[in-house]
Amino acid sequence: MDDIRNNPDRDLVDAVLAHRPGAFERLVGEYQGLCWHIIQRMVRNPEDARELCQDTFLRVHQCLHQYRYESALKSWIGRVAYTIALRHLQHKRIPLAGNGDGDEGALVENIGDGFDLEAACANAETVQQLHAAIESLPPLQRTLLTLYYLEETPIPEIARITGLASGTIKSHLFRSRLRLRGVLETRTGVAA
Amino acid sequence: MNHLIDDTIPPFDDAAHEREWLAQERAMRRERLQLDPAGDDARGRRYRAVARALREPLAEALPADFAQRTAGLVATAQVQRAPSGTRFEFALTLVLAAILTLAAGVVTAIYGSAWLPSFSAILPAPHAPASGWLLALAGCLGASWLLGLWQRRGHG
Repeated sequence: MDDIRNNPDRDLVDAVLAHRPGAFERLVGEYQGLCWHIIQRMVRNPEDARELCQDTFLRVHQCLHQYRYESALKSWIGRVAYTIALRHLQHKRIPLAGNGDGDEGALVENIGDGFDLEAACANAETVQQLHAAIESLPPLQRTLLTLYYLEETPIPEIARITGLASGTIKSHLFRSRLRLRGVLETRTGVAA
Repeated sequence: MNHLIDDTIPPFDDAAHEREWLAQERAMRRERLQLDPAGDDARGRRYRAVARALREPLAEALPADFAQRTAGLVATAQVQRAPSGTRFEFALTLVLAAILTLAAGVVTAIYGSAWLPSFSAILPAPHAPASGWLLALAGCLGASWLLGLWQRRGHG
Protein backbone atom coordinates (compact mmCIF):
# COMPACT_ATOMS: atom_id res chain seq x y z
CA MET A 1 0.00 0.00 0.00
CA ASP A 2 2.89 2.35 0.90
CA ASP A 3 4.47 1.48 -2.45
CA ILE A 4 1.40 2.83 -4.20
CA ARG A 5 1.38 6.02 -2.12
CA ASN A 6 5.09 6.63 -2.78
CA ASN A 7 4.83 5.70 -6.46
CA PRO A 8 6.32 8.56 -8.55
CA ASP A 9 3.55 8.12 -11.15
CA ARG A 10 0.86 8.61 -8.49
CA ASP A 11 0.59 12.42 -8.71
CA LEU A 12 0.25 12.42 -12.48
CA VAL A 13 -2.29 9.59 -12.51
CA ASP A 14 -4.34 11.24 -9.74
CA ALA A 15 -4.26 14.57 -11.57
CA VAL A 16 -5.50 12.98 -14.81
CA LEU A 17 -8.25 11.06 -13.00
CA ALA A 18 -9.33 14.25 -11.23
CA HIS A 19 -9.51 15.99 -14.67
CA ARG A 20 -7.04 18.68 -13.55
CA PRO A 21 -6.32 21.13 -16.39
CA GLY A 22 -3.18 20.25 -18.36
CA ALA A 23 -2.64 16.91 -16.57
CA PHE A 24 -3.49 14.66 -19.50
CA GLU A 25 -1.44 16.80 -21.89
CA ARG A 26 1.50 16.38 -19.48
CA LEU A 27 1.01 12.60 -19.48
CA VAL A 28 0.88 12.48 -23.29
CA GLY A 29 3.97 14.70 -23.53
CA GLU A 30 5.87 12.45 -21.17
CA TYR A 31 5.08 9.14 -22.90
CA GLN A 32 4.51 10.05 -26.55
CA GLY A 33 8.14 9.28 -27.40
CA LEU A 34 7.86 5.76 -26.01
CA CYS A 35 4.59 5.12 -27.86
CA TRP A 36 6.01 6.50 -31.09
CA HIS A 37 9.09 4.28 -30.83
CA ILE A 38 7.00 1.16 -30.21
CA ILE A 39 4.31 1.84 -32.79
CA GLN A 40 6.51 3.30 -35.54
CA ARG A 41 8.93 0.37 -35.25
CA MET A 42 6.05 -2.12 -35.34
CA VAL A 43 3.93 -0.69 -38.19
CA ARG A 44 6.52 1.48 -40.05
CA ASN A 45 3.92 3.51 -41.96
CA PRO A 46 4.14 7.03 -40.39
CA GLU A 47 0.47 7.89 -41.09
CA ASP A 48 -0.77 4.68 -39.48
CA ALA A 49 1.69 5.11 -36.62
CA ARG A 50 0.43 8.64 -35.85
CA GLU A 51 -3.17 7.45 -35.84
CA LEU A 52 -2.36 4.47 -33.63
CA CYS A 53 -0.47 6.72 -31.20
CA GLN A 54 -3.59 8.82 -30.84
CA ASP A 55 -5.70 5.67 -30.35
CA THR A 56 -3.24 4.58 -27.68
CA PHE A 57 -3.64 7.75 -25.63
CA LEU A 58 -7.43 7.76 -26.04
CA ARG A 59 -7.40 4.21 -24.69
CA VAL A 60 -5.02 5.21 -21.88
CA HIS A 61 -7.42 8.00 -20.90
CA GLN A 62 -10.37 5.62 -21.01
CA CYS A 63 -8.70 2.88 -18.93
CA LEU A 64 -6.41 4.82 -16.57
CA HIS A 65 -8.76 4.15 -13.63
CA GLN A 66 -7.87 0.45 -14.08
CA TYR A 67 -4.13 1.12 -13.55
CA ARG A 68 -3.18 -0.53 -10.22
CA TYR A 69 0.51 0.51 -9.92
CA GLU A 70 1.62 -3.12 -10.35
CA SER A 71 4.21 -1.94 -12.88
CA ALA A 72 5.65 1.44 -13.82
CA LEU A 73 3.23 3.71 -15.69
CA LYS A 74 5.73 3.67 -18.57
CA SER A 75 5.36 -0.11 -18.89
CA TRP A 76 1.58 0.07 -18.61
CA ILE A 77 1.31 2.70 -21.36
CA GLY A 78 3.93 0.86 -23.43
CA ARG A 79 1.82 -2.28 -23.13
CA VAL A 80 -1.25 -0.42 -24.42
CA ALA A 81 0.77 0.91 -27.39
CA TYR A 82 2.25 -2.52 -28.12
CA THR A 83 -1.17 -4.22 -28.00
CA ILE A 84 -2.71 -1.64 -30.35
CA ALA A 85 0.19 -1.96 -32.82
CA LEU A 86 0.04 -5.76 -32.58
CA ARG A 87 -3.68 -5.76 -33.40
CA HIS A 88 -2.95 -3.52 -36.40
CA LEU A 89 -0.33 -5.96 -37.70
CA GLN A 90 -2.69 -8.90 -37.18
CA HIS A 91 -5.43 -7.04 -39.04
CA LYS A 92 -3.03 -6.38 -41.94
CA ARG A 93 -1.74 -9.97 -41.73
CA ILE A 94 1.84 -8.83 -41.27
CA PRO A 95 3.97 -11.43 -39.43
CA LEU A 96 5.33 -10.16 -36.11
CA ALA A 97 8.59 -12.10 -35.83
CA GLY A 98 10.73 -13.76 -38.49
CA ASN A 99 12.34 -17.16 -38.34
CA GLY A 100 15.98 -17.43 -37.29
CA ASP A 101 18.51 -17.53 -40.12
CA GLY A 102 20.27 -20.56 -38.68
CA ASP A 103 23.77 -19.31 -39.50
CA GLU A 104 24.47 -17.91 -36.04
CA GLY A 105 27.14 -20.50 -35.27
CA ALA A 106 29.26 -19.39 -38.23
CA LEU A 107 28.92 -15.73 -37.31
CA VAL A 108 29.73 -16.31 -33.67
CA GLU A 109 32.95 -18.11 -34.65
CA ASN A 110 34.00 -15.72 -37.44
CA ILE A 111 35.30 -12.27 -36.76
CA GLY A 112 37.36 -9.99 -38.95
CA ASP A 113 40.72 -8.70 -37.73
CA GLY A 114 40.57 -4.95 -37.62
CA PHE A 115 37.68 -2.55 -37.57
CA ASP A 116 37.93 1.23 -37.46
CA LEU A 117 34.79 2.30 -35.59
CA GLU A 118 35.02 6.00 -36.39
CA ALA A 119 35.81 5.40 -40.08
CA ALA A 120 32.91 2.94 -40.39
CA CYS A 121 30.48 5.35 -38.73
CA ALA A 122 31.69 8.19 -40.93
CA ASN A 123 31.21 6.07 -44.04
CA ALA A 124 27.76 6.98 -45.38
CA GLU A 125 27.46 3.74 -47.32
CA THR A 126 28.18 1.57 -44.27
CA VAL A 127 25.75 3.55 -42.10
CA GLN A 128 23.08 3.36 -44.79
CA GLN A 129 23.58 -0.38 -45.13
CA LEU A 130 23.31 -0.81 -41.37
CA HIS A 131 20.07 1.21 -41.27
CA ALA A 132 18.67 -0.76 -44.19
CA ALA A 133 19.48 -3.98 -42.29
CA ILE A 134 17.69 -2.63 -39.19
CA GLU A 135 14.66 -1.72 -41.32
CA SER A 136 14.62 -5.19 -42.88
CA LEU A 137 14.33 -6.87 -39.47
CA PRO A 138 10.87 -8.24 -38.56
CA PRO A 139 8.62 -5.83 -36.55
CA LEU A 140 9.19 -7.53 -33.20
CA GLN A 141 12.98 -7.55 -33.48
CA ARG A 142 13.03 -3.89 -34.63
CA THR A 143 10.85 -2.88 -31.70
CA LEU A 144 12.88 -4.82 -29.12
CA LEU A 145 16.14 -3.24 -30.35
CA THR A 146 14.61 0.25 -30.26
CA LEU A 147 13.27 -0.23 -26.74
CA TYR A 148 16.63 -1.60 -25.58
CA TYR A 149 18.91 0.94 -27.26
CA LEU A 150 16.92 4.12 -27.84
CA GLU A 151 14.59 4.01 -24.83
CA GLU A 152 17.22 2.24 -22.70
CA THR A 153 14.48 0.01 -21.30
CA PRO A 154 15.82 -2.98 -19.29
CA ILE A 155 14.83 -6.49 -20.44
CA PRO A 156 12.37 -7.13 -17.51
CA GLU A 157 10.53 -3.89 -18.41
CA ILE A 158 10.44 -4.91 -22.09
CA ALA A 159 8.97 -8.20 -20.89
CA ARG A 160 6.15 -6.27 -19.17
CA ILE A 161 5.48 -4.22 -22.29
CA THR A 162 5.48 -7.11 -24.74
CA GLY A 163 4.31 -9.94 -22.48
CA LEU A 164 7.26 -12.05 -23.70
CA ALA A 165 9.58 -13.99 -21.39
CA SER A 166 12.94 -12.34 -20.63
CA GLY A 167 14.77 -15.33 -22.17
CA THR A 168 12.83 -14.92 -25.42
CA ILE A 169 13.67 -11.21 -25.57
CA LYS A 170 17.33 -11.97 -24.90
CA SER A 171 17.33 -14.50 -27.70
CA HIS A 172 15.73 -12.03 -30.17
CA LEU A 173 18.20 -9.28 -29.22
CA PHE A 174 21.13 -11.65 -29.55
CA ARG A 175 20.15 -12.88 -33.03
CA SER A 176 19.30 -9.40 -34.31
CA ARG A 177 22.60 -7.92 -33.15
CA LEU A 178 24.50 -10.85 -34.59
CA ARG A 179 22.72 -10.35 -37.90
CA LEU A 180 23.59 -6.64 -37.89
CA ARG A 181 27.20 -7.43 -37.08
CA GLY A 182 27.05 -9.79 -40.06
CA VAL A 183 26.34 -6.77 -42.30
CA LEU A 184 29.58 -5.18 -41.13
CA GLU A 185 31.47 -8.46 -41.56
CA THR A 186 30.24 -8.74 -45.15
CA ARG A 187 31.51 -5.22 -45.84
CA THR A 188 34.93 -6.01 -44.39
CA GLY A 189 35.08 -9.30 -46.27
CA VAL A 190 34.55 -11.97 -43.58
CA ALA A 191 32.40 -14.87 -44.68
CA ALA A 192 29.34 -15.23 -42.52
CA MET B 1 -0.64 -6.54 -16.30
CA ASN B 2 1.00 -9.91 -15.96
CA HIS B 3 2.25 -10.68 -12.42
CA LEU B 4 3.99 -13.88 -13.47
CA ILE B 5 6.71 -12.32 -15.60
CA ASP B 6 10.07 -13.61 -14.45
CA ASP B 7 12.70 -10.87 -14.14
CA THR B 8 15.68 -13.25 -14.30
CA ILE B 9 17.47 -13.43 -17.64
CA PRO B 10 18.62 -17.01 -18.20
CA PRO B 11 22.06 -17.69 -19.75
CA PHE B 12 22.33 -19.41 -23.15
CA ASP B 13 22.99 -23.16 -23.08
CA ASP B 14 25.79 -22.66 -25.62
CA ALA B 15 28.87 -21.11 -23.95
CA ALA B 16 29.98 -19.45 -27.22
CA HIS B 17 26.58 -17.77 -27.55
CA GLU B 18 26.73 -16.54 -23.97
CA ARG B 19 30.23 -15.08 -24.60
CA GLU B 20 28.94 -13.37 -27.73
CA TRP B 21 25.96 -12.00 -25.76
CA LEU B 22 28.29 -10.58 -23.10
CA ALA B 23 30.37 -8.95 -25.85
CA GLN B 24 27.18 -7.36 -27.26
CA GLU B 25 26.18 -6.08 -23.82
CA ARG B 26 29.65 -4.72 -23.07
CA ALA B 27 29.76 -2.87 -26.40
CA MET B 28 26.31 -1.39 -25.75
CA ARG B 29 27.36 -0.11 -22.32
CA ARG B 30 30.66 1.29 -23.63
CA GLU B 31 28.91 3.05 -26.50
CA ARG B 32 26.31 4.47 -24.09
CA LEU B 33 29.15 5.88 -21.94
CA GLN B 34 31.03 6.99 -25.09
CA LEU B 35 34.24 5.31 -23.92
CA ASP B 36 37.38 5.30 -26.08
CA PRO B 37 37.09 2.56 -28.77
CA ALA B 38 40.79 1.86 -28.28
CA GLY B 39 39.72 -0.29 -25.32
CA ASP B 40 37.54 -2.51 -27.56
CA ASP B 41 38.54 -5.52 -29.61
CA ALA B 42 37.43 -5.93 -33.26
CA ARG B 43 34.19 -7.67 -32.22
CA GLY B 44 33.38 -4.96 -29.67
CA ARG B 45 33.99 -2.19 -32.20
CA ARG B 46 31.60 -3.78 -34.67
CA TYR B 47 28.93 -4.07 -31.99
CA ARG B 48 29.57 -0.45 -31.06
CA ALA B 49 28.91 0.56 -34.66
CA VAL B 50 25.64 -1.40 -34.44
CA ALA B 51 24.81 0.33 -31.13
CA ARG B 52 25.52 3.75 -32.60
CA ALA B 53 23.12 3.11 -35.49
CA LEU B 54 20.44 1.80 -33.12
CA ARG B 55 20.73 4.81 -30.81
CA GLU B 56 20.06 7.29 -33.61
CA PRO B 57 16.62 8.95 -33.32
CA LEU B 58 13.98 7.76 -35.79
CA ALA B 59 13.73 9.78 -38.99
CA GLU B 60 9.99 10.46 -38.55
CA ALA B 61 8.49 11.97 -35.41
CA LEU B 62 5.10 12.91 -34.00
CA PRO B 63 3.99 16.51 -34.66
CA ALA B 64 5.17 19.05 -32.07
CA ASP B 65 1.59 19.77 -30.93
CA PHE B 66 0.61 16.09 -30.65
CA ALA B 67 0.12 16.17 -26.84
CA GLN B 68 -1.92 19.36 -27.00
CA ARG B 69 -4.11 18.05 -29.83
CA THR B 70 -4.71 14.67 -28.18
CA ALA B 71 -5.59 16.30 -24.84
CA GLY B 72 -7.93 18.67 -26.72
CA LEU B 73 -9.61 15.73 -28.42
CA VAL B 74 -10.23 14.02 -25.08
CA ALA B 75 -11.55 17.24 -23.50
CA THR B 76 -13.95 17.87 -26.41
CA ALA B 77 -15.25 14.30 -26.26
CA GLN B 78 -15.83 14.67 -22.51
CA VAL B 79 -17.67 17.97 -22.83
CA GLN B 80 -19.89 16.61 -25.60
CA ARG B 81 -20.61 13.36 -23.80
CA ALA B 82 -21.13 14.49 -20.20
CA PRO B 83 -23.81 17.22 -20.47
CA SER B 84 -25.90 15.50 -23.12
CA GLY B 85 -25.89 12.25 -21.13
CA THR B 86 -26.71 13.95 -17.82
CA ARG B 87 -29.38 16.15 -19.36
CA PHE B 88 -31.11 13.15 -20.94
CA GLU B 89 -31.01 11.17 -17.69
CA PHE B 90 -32.35 14.14 -15.72
CA ALA B 91 -35.23 14.68 -18.16
CA LEU B 92 -36.07 10.98 -18.07
CA THR B 93 -36.12 11.01 -14.24
CA LEU B 94 -38.39 14.06 -14.21
CA VAL B 95 -40.85 12.47 -16.66
CA LEU B 96 -40.88 9.24 -14.65
CA ALA B 97 -41.44 11.09 -11.36
CA ALA B 98 -44.32 13.10 -12.89
CA ILE B 99 -45.99 9.94 -14.23
CA LEU B 100 -45.64 8.16 -10.87
CA THR B 101 -47.03 11.15 -8.92
CA LEU B 102 -49.96 11.46 -11.29
CA ALA B 103 -50.67 7.72 -11.11
CA ALA B 104 -50.48 7.78 -7.29
CA GLY B 105 -52.92 10.71 -7.19
CA VAL B 106 -55.39 8.99 -9.55
CA VAL B 107 -55.21 5.67 -7.64
CA THR B 108 -55.70 7.43 -4.28
CA ALA B 109 -58.65 9.43 -5.66
CA ILE B 110 -60.38 6.31 -7.05
CA TYR B 111 -59.62 3.65 -4.43
CA GLY B 112 -58.45 5.76 -1.45
CA SER B 113 -61.81 5.67 0.35
CA ALA B 114 -61.62 1.83 0.44
CA TRP B 115 -58.12 1.30 1.87
CA LEU B 116 -57.11 4.52 3.64
CA PRO B 117 -59.15 3.73 6.80
CA SER B 118 -57.37 0.33 7.09
CA PHE B 119 -53.97 2.08 6.98
CA SER B 120 -54.92 4.64 9.62
CA ALA B 121 -56.05 1.76 11.86
CA ILE B 122 -52.67 0.00 11.80
CA LEU B 123 -50.62 3.20 12.24
CA PRO B 124 -49.44 3.68 15.84
CA ALA B 125 -51.07 6.38 17.93
CA PRO B 126 -48.97 9.57 18.21
CA HIS B 127 -48.13 8.89 21.86
CA ALA B 128 -47.54 5.13 21.57
CA PRO B 129 -43.98 3.82 22.55
CA ALA B 130 -43.48 2.37 19.01
CA SER B 131 -43.69 5.86 17.50
CA GLY B 132 -40.45 6.89 19.15
CA TRP B 133 -38.61 3.87 17.71
CA LEU B 134 -40.08 4.50 14.28
CA LEU B 135 -38.88 8.10 14.44
CA ALA B 136 -35.39 6.90 15.49
CA LEU B 137 -35.31 4.43 12.56
CA ALA B 138 -36.35 7.16 10.15
CA GLY B 139 -33.63 9.40 11.60
CA CYS B 140 -30.97 6.68 11.11
CA LEU B 141 -32.05 6.05 7.54
CA GLY B 142 -32.00 9.78 6.78
CA ALA B 143 -28.57 10.22 8.36
CA SER B 144 -26.99 7.34 6.39
CA TRP B 145 -28.55 8.63 3.16
CA LEU B 146 -27.11 12.11 3.81
CA LEU B 147 -23.72 10.59 4.69
CA GLY B 148 -23.71 8.59 1.45
CA LEU B 149 -24.57 11.73 -0.49
CA TRP B 150 -21.75 13.65 1.17
CA GLN B 151 -19.21 10.87 0.50
CA ARG B 152 -20.20 10.62 -3.16
CA ARG B 153 -19.76 14.37 -3.56
CA GLY B 154 -16.35 14.20 -1.83
CA HIS B 155 -15.02 11.48 -4.20
CA GLY B 156 -16.70 12.73 -7.34
